[in-house]
Amino acid sequence: MAEVVAPGFITARRTRTAGRYAVLLLGAVVMVGPFLWMLAASLKTDADIQQVPPSVLPNPFTGTNYGRVLDAFPFWRFLANSVVVSLVSTLLQLTLAATAGYCFARIEFRGRNALFGLYLATMMIPLQVVIVPLFIEMRNLHLVNTYAGLLLPTIVSAFGTFLIRQAFLALPKELDEAAFVDGAGHARVFFQILLPLIAPALATFAVFAFMASWNAFLWPLIITRGSQSHATLPVGLSLLQGQYTTSWNVVMAGAVMSIAPILAFYIFTQRWVIRSLAFTGLKG
Amino acid sequence: MATPHHHMTRRTFTAVLAAGALFVAGCGSDDTSSSDSTTKSSGTASADTAATTPATASNDAVTLDYFTFSAAPDHLADLDAIIAAFEKENPNITIKVQTAAYADYFTSLQTQVAGQDAPDTFELNYESFVNYARSGALLDLSSYLTDGTVDGARYYPLALSGFADGGKQYGLPATFSDVVLIYNKTLFDAAGIDYPTADWAWDDETAAAEKLTDADNGVYGDYQPVSYYEFYKALAQNGGEFFDADGKAAFNDAKGVETAEWLLGKPGSTMPTLADIGGTADYDTNLFKSGKLAMWHNGIWQFTGLNESDIDYDIVVEPGKVSKANAVFMNGAVASKDTSHPAEAAKWIAFLTGSPTTVETRLASSWELPAVNDEAAFASYLTVAKPENRQAVFDALDNVALPPVIERQTELQDIVGKALDSVVSGGVSVQDALDNAAAEVDKLQS
Repeated sequence: MAEVVAPGFITARRTRTAGRYAVLLLGAVVMVGPFLWMLAASLKTDADIQQVPPSVLPNPFTGTNYGRVLDAFPFWRFLANSVVVSLVSTLLQLTLAATAGYCFARIEFRGRNALFGLYLATMMIPLQVVIVPLFIEMRNLHLVNTYAGLLLPTIVSAFGTFLIRQAFLALPKELDEAAFVDGAGHARVFFQILLPLIAPALATFAVFAFMASWNAFLWPLIITRGSQSHATLPVGLSLLQGQYTTSWNVVMAGAVMSIAPILAFYIFTQRWVIRSLAFTGLKG
Repeated sequence: MATPHHHMTRRTFTAVLAAGALFVAGCGSDDTSSSDSTTKSSGTASADTAATTPATASNDAVTLDYFTFSAAPDHLADLDAIIAAFEKENPNITIKVQTAAYADYFTSLQTQVAGQDAPDTFELNYESFVNYARSGALLDLSSYLTDGTVDGARYYPLALSGFADGGKQYGLPATFSDVVLIYNKTLFDAAGIDYPTADWAWDDETAAAEKLTDADNGVYGDYQPVSYYEFYKALAQNGGEFFDADGKAAFNDAKGVETAEWLLGKPGSTMPTLADIGGTADYDTNLFKSGKLAMWHNGIWQFTGLNESDIDYDIVVEPGKVSKANAVFMNGAVASKDTSHPAEAAKWIAFLTGSPTTVETRLASSWELPAVNDEAAFASYLTVAKPENRQAVFDALDNVALPPVIERQTELQDIVGKALDSVVSGGVSVQDALDNAAAEVDKLQS
């Protein structure tokens, strides 16, 4: 591009750039719009939110909906439950998916592929189908309405195992062969040689696992049996809806309050994920 | 294929279990759950003896679960007040509240019942009551009505019979809400039309709705949802029968067709089209609160919200055709067949549904209306706030049409709702749509 170019070409390029920004802007509006709408709705009064046609900006602004969320259910308790459950679940999912992924990628044993196929097949079974047997299982283990009961069914992820197995497979086998020649065992190869190299995959899966765990609704609803001691935020949000009527401004305030932590988590990990992805991009 | 899969699941599960056990040991369990597990195990022990001796309330400490959908989000404190009064009278009984939103409540309840871990006492609406009663999940309360634990005369007879099935009393009515005609006085005044009266018939409503509709300015005369609930009720107003004496669907006769045509004649003429309404939440509420709807078929639960707006409104019993018929929604309290403390459970749900504390608490906080047969208790309700004609709420009870219920209730409601929709969206004739629906409904019951 260093050589002289015709003025018309520059104009065309500028138009193209402007066009790209227009598309990006539109995308941003589509993505961010609902969030802004949620934020605006959470600051509206009862009368304001029911106007026809709907207003865009709250008039007047009110913060009372946030107080009403705090009255409707023990928000801080639910928040703490959500944080604990999501973090521990993510950690355990990462541990189990990484170790299982390593076995499926690097250790030869009879029936490995069949077993892996079966493992993947479990992704096809929706939670709804197994929820009653799962509940009975938890009841027999006396884990109904406990953190362990909330966590156990979530910590083995076939998707995570698949993702991380693929990451291991992409690494050259010479790496671990060299390590084995130098006298390393599986533990050392796993922890010191291979694991650092699949950090991007781990980070990606961590985001998926955390989001899924944070947003999980059905299992927390079932296993807590409507008790408030172990319930998580999505269950609390559903409590904001009544049998006959629902105050949507309060629901929106609750949504803002529950999205804030995961948004912070996402912004934090996103930087890391992008950096790691860029790093692997250079190698590939 | 099944064997290795099963094997794998078990192996994984053992590993998972070990990890979980570590986690539990690490976190410890809080006071609530540990006390819960002790009551549960002592409860199981006494259940064995309860089977041989008649269940009478003992003075041992007892904890009962109560699972509810109607308390959250606005009335948790009111429920706590009722529980506190009950526990004061019965110091040996502790009530533990479980709560879920109405939309998710039955998912949770079904799993608990299927998992044989049902709450000791819980709430059911009238439509789902039959299903639970016939599946054998509920405790027969008949003996507690005889021995005086429950005073049957305390309740509206119709409400009480709503929670009986096959001659057995499986539940006690807790609350009712009925549907009335809510109207905007300002719009009637502006159009120079007399307010609706209890003597109105369908034709009067149509005539007024046509005059009040000003579609160019987005003002509509009428709003009645096209749904199962409106259809069964309008059918009763028209003198028709939903099921005949043999329990076969009868809503596809001439009366049924006329009823469906009355309901379907509204959208697009005196009310917004169904396409406009779409799936918008609270479309009708917002329209009425914006002063753009003159007449609205809706429930008395709207009063609180309407009183927060500046709309000048009143209510009247819905117009009929051949006769008056009003929809009533009821919630009741039931006990699980498997509860270890049936006598205490009966005592609690009797208090929850009929005690003076409950009646006062509910009326003071507009938490629906208690289903007690006690007009004096409602004196304060009649004058507490708008609408002026609150008497209509009780007048409507003189002619109640309860929703037809079968065991496969959700499917029944879906079939009828879809049939009505197919007339609007699919261009099916009313007769064909109802014939198809009737055939499908009969298949549900065969």
